[in-house]
Amino acid sequence: MILFRFSIFAQGLRVALTALILSCTPSCSENHAIEAYPIEPEYEGPVVAWDLPENWAENPDLSGPMAGSFHIKTEEGPKGRIGVMPFRESVSILEVANMFAREIGYGILTERSLAPLLERKTLGDRVFEWVRMEERGGTGTGRSILLALFRQDSETWLFPFIAEKELVETELENFSAFLESTVLRPGKATIQARPPEPAPSPPPSPAELEGVPSWDVPSHWVTGKSSSMRLASHKVYDEEGNEIDFSITSFPGDVGGLLANVNRWLGQIGLPPTDQENLPNFVSRVEVAGLPAQLVEASSEDQALYAAILFKDDRSWFFKMTGSASLAAKEKEGFLHLLDSVSFPKP
Amino acid sequence: MSSTDHKDSYKARNAFFWLAPLASVRLTLVLLSLSMILVFVATLEQVRIGIRGALSEYFESLVGIWHYPEQFWGGEFLHHIPLPIPGGYLLGGLLILNLVAAFLTRFQWTFKKVGIQLIHLGIIALLVGQLVTQATQEESRMQINKGESVNYLERFHGVELALIDVTDPERETVVAIPQELLEEGQRLRHDSLPFDLIVKSFGVNCDFNVSPSGSTREGLTEEVDRGVGLTANLAITDKEEDFSSDAMNFGYLVFELTHKDGSLGTWLSLSHPAGNHWWKESEKLADFAFQPIRHEGRLWGASLRPKREYLPYSIELLGIENEFYQGTEIPFNFESDVVLNMDDNQTRRALVYMNTPLRHDGKTFYQYQMNNAADYTVFQVIRNPSWLVPYLACIIISIGLLWQFLWHLVAFLQKNSSKSPKGA
Repeated sequence: MILFRFSIFAQGLRVALTALILSCTPSCSENHAIEAYPIEPEYEGPVVAWDLPENWAENPDLSGPMAGSFHIKTEEGPKGRIGVMPFRESVSILEVANMFAREIGYGILTERSLAPLLERKTLGDRVFEWVRMEERGGTGTGRSILLALFRQDSETWLFPFIAEKELVETELENFSAFLESTVLRPGKATIQARPPEPAPSPPPSPAELEGVPSWDVPSHWVTGKSSSMRLASHKVYDEEGNEIDFSITSFPGDVGGLLANVNRWLGQIGLPPTDQENLPNFVSRVEVAGLPAQLVEASSEDQALYAAILFKDDRSWFFKMTGSASLAAKEKEGFLHLLDSVSFPKP
Repeated sequence: MSSTDHKDSYKARNAFFWLAPLASVRLTLVLLSLSMILVFVATLEQVRIGIRGALSEYFESLVGIWHYPEQFWGGEFLHHIPLPIPGGYLLGGLLILNLVAAFLTRFQWTFKKVGIQLIHLGIIALLVGQLVTQATQEESRMQINKGESVNYLERFHGVELALIDVTDPERETVVAIPQELLEEGQRLRHDSLPFDLIVKSFGVNCDFNVSPSGSTREGLTEEVDRGVGLTANLAITDKEEDFSSDAMNFGYLVFELTHKDGSLGTWLSLSHPAGNHWWKESEKLADFAFQPIRHEGRLWGASLRPKREYLPYSIELLGIENEFYQGTEIPFNFESDVVLNMDDNQTRRALVYMNTPLRHDGKTFYQYQMNNAADYTVFQVIRNPSWLVPYLACIIISIGLLWQFLWHLVAFLQKNSSKSPKGA
């Protein structure tokens, strides 16, 4: 019988098996690390990049057709709004101007009425259609709307700048530098041209406007759109992205009474409803336009509500501020000042 | 057997005498019995927790915890007692040790026994191969819309946070953070990221609800102040991972980005179990596929998505066809007509249908799902680097059996011929 020495084979086998098991061990525990790698472009949306002026900051609530949204940092808080809106199709400057014109009292613009507001402005190697409109009439704070429209191939890029007239003036240079610095790349996905916000409601009729009071708004509050429901609408933002909303509304009758209104508002800031007995915990007396009114104050962990209810001539008037608790606390003084300033026209 | 043969055998056994306790046949029998119990328990549990759940709990673990079924006799009392069951890794590992020890200590190193040794070597290779498969096999899916090409796979399980810089029109840069690093409180940095990322909370499954406008978000999304979590006012509740076959696990991540000047904000990201392109079906949540983050003049997108693997080739779907058994809705055949576009401008046309997968570059593409109405197909993609091991193991075992049989046959024939009467 042929003899064979297997001991070397056995040793070799042992080494081989050990190596196999050890080589398996690292693959059993995958190396989990952050990886960075390049890929072919997949993103189909518009790409907008920019150099932001030092005193500008981004708004957190970027949504809808906006590709970018900014405000100006001032000592009194964030002011103004600058946006970047890409349109997939070619839109006329008249269509764009009319998206904003009614909001500041211009009515419907025509080619003829637009002509004096329109100019061509060259910034770097780009030519912009430039429309400037100043607020007309109303109780506003002298807003100015500056629209810069840039056409690139079949794309149209709109940069609206909405702020108080003086702020638009002082920030004009920054706005121009910002426009010049932008990188604009159209997206592959279709973007329908549409107004940045729903079309404004028709202004209240003269009959409705009768007996409407006037008031002073803190200068850093950003004016929103009024509607048939809201006689005034303002927003306030801070650096941390907090936001509060202020509105003035008026309805015939007592709208369910004090308790019902307070409970509705408590629900809006996440608090349980109260009862008649505990109502004084939230309500105190205040004077609005020389008349007795109720001041409602409530706050949850991060939301707060300050509201005044005035009952006059069979109508309820609501002055309501709600939103971030920290910001609302800072703005309470401005709110009380606004209440102080309310004045009804003399019959 | 000659005296030299005995001497060699003795030497070999002597060298590995310390392995003798591990080489016990009793241990083999105990391990095989426990394996049967494991298979029985896992089969019962599969009904409750699904195939993946049973695999993870009992086979891909050292020890699994089993609760006696409530509906069995005495279940109302016994159900509450947790019973540890030795898991697949433990039993498999011990079986390998047991076989190797027996191999080295007991078996005789002679030509006569080579067959036996080859058979055992084959079984060891099968067990080791299974262990390697378990550890390295990857299952992914690839969804392709008709007329489109796709060059990446998405894992069935596991997510990653992808931060993608899309500013450059020629190429995008992806920074992928795997699920394993997304631990609460973890601060993550990478040279390619211009900001740090702090993990606020992460989970593999959740329930999410759009809260009424104006109401405050509480719990996990309380801090979210940017992106879809803010605009859709989403509230989420953490949930256990569902292992069932029709599970829909929505992974979630709340993260904050910071840079030298402070916080950039806190975002919520949700991963869709069928791929993040499905978010586009919901207007409010569409941005979960790509939440824009603008920083220092660049546009980044954040997306918590099934873990991706990019391929050096792409697959284009030319057409799909599905057939059903007459008068029923039971599928008879799904068929995808595809073109493989490789790096060097080479193409390969293939028809993928049930039991006829496409094999390329170590991956196998099986027809998995199809939607004729929506014109897309889904492949299940398997990568198993040790797929050859079972074949090799079977060949070794076959050679061993053949050797053993022939050895005995030759010996028998020799014995017979030597016994036969001379001159018969």
